[in-house]
Amino acid sequence: MRAELQRVLFVGFLAAFSPWTLATFAQQPEVPVKVVQIMGLTGVKNKTGGKLTVDGGNLHFVHGAAKVDVATASMEDVVTGADSQRIIHGTLGSIGLMAAPYGSGRFLSLFRSKLDTLTVKYRDADGGLHGVIFMMPVGKAEVIKKELLAQGAHTTAPEEAANAGASSPAAKEQKQ
Amino acid sequence: MKSMLRSGIVGLALLAGVATAPVLRAQANKPAKIKASAIRVEMIHSDEIKLPAEFQVSLYEDLIQQLEKKGGFQHIYRQGDRNAEKVADLVILHSTVTGFKKGNEELRQVTTVAGATSIKLHCVFKDKEGKALLESDVTGNVRFFGGNLRATYDFAKKTAQIAHDSFSPTAGT
Repeated sequence: MRAELQRVLFVGFLAAFSPWTLATFAQQPEVPVKVVQIMGLTGVKNKTGGKLTVDGGNLHFVHGAAKVDVATASMEDVVTGADSQRIIHGTLGSIGLMAAPYGSGRFLSLFRSKLDTLTVKYRDADGGLHGVIFMMPVGKAEVIKKELLAQGAHTTAPEEAANAGASSPAAKEQKQ
Repeated sequence: MKSMLRSGIVGLALLAGVATAPVLRAQANKPAKIKASAIRVEMIHSDEIKLPAEFQVSLYEDLIQQLEKKGGFQHIYRQGDRNAEKVADLVILHSTVTGFKKGNEELRQVTTVAGATSIKLHCVFKDKEGKALLESDVTGNVRFFGGNLRATYDFAKKTAQIAHDSFSPTAGT
């Protein structure tokens, strides 16, 4: 009986802390993400702080009593700051940039390295194209982007190079 | 004494006339504004220079904000807005990035003379049939304070001024 209980606990422990389960938990932004809306959101002033969530096919930006929703289906392009760097410099270039201190040639990065950006292009009811820029802590943009894509948004950024980065010569060298 | 006062007034009047003459002449020589009640802003193109998405969106949104702020058009439409199709005297603004000079915010803050960021765009104002009405190269700079995004604001402000000076809802004003 005791051995069986131990076995159940062991299997439960393995299931709870398996990489698959952890990855699934990591991709769920249950907690609203603190962001700064740099510009572009209709009815919201530039550089307004607020909280961002993705739920029910909408991106919600909440600032005090004000709430703005953007339908994920209307999003034509969702790009993170890391995507931009990858498009411009390539995967190896992005890795080099991550290692470089701010101001040592990072001329195209608009924000400091401890902050990430999420740029969303979407259409309004009349077909007008809008662009919104959010600034948030590093790592959050990728999570929100994945959530938006899962709920019907689109992106023009090439497939995430995380895997490519892992198999790049630089990454291999670090592993050895 | 009276004659001195009179000659003084005459002198002042002459001076005022000389001073205002070039201004009046410039106003007379100013080309007539092109009639346009609305403008549609197209998304910024960057064929030769790879531009980050946030920079592209910042240029586009700043441009729309500055055009709204400056006035001069009854309507400002975004790319793809179906309502723009009904406007007869619509002007369409196409902007293409032609140059980008690297800057450094830290260097700007420290030296205030080095580290300027500049972005150069070729702007073409076209009518509905695609005929170019006005072309201009506009440079956005950030020289002293502010992040690189300040360059997009500078560009937008200059372009909105060009649009304001060149177009009007009532012809020939």
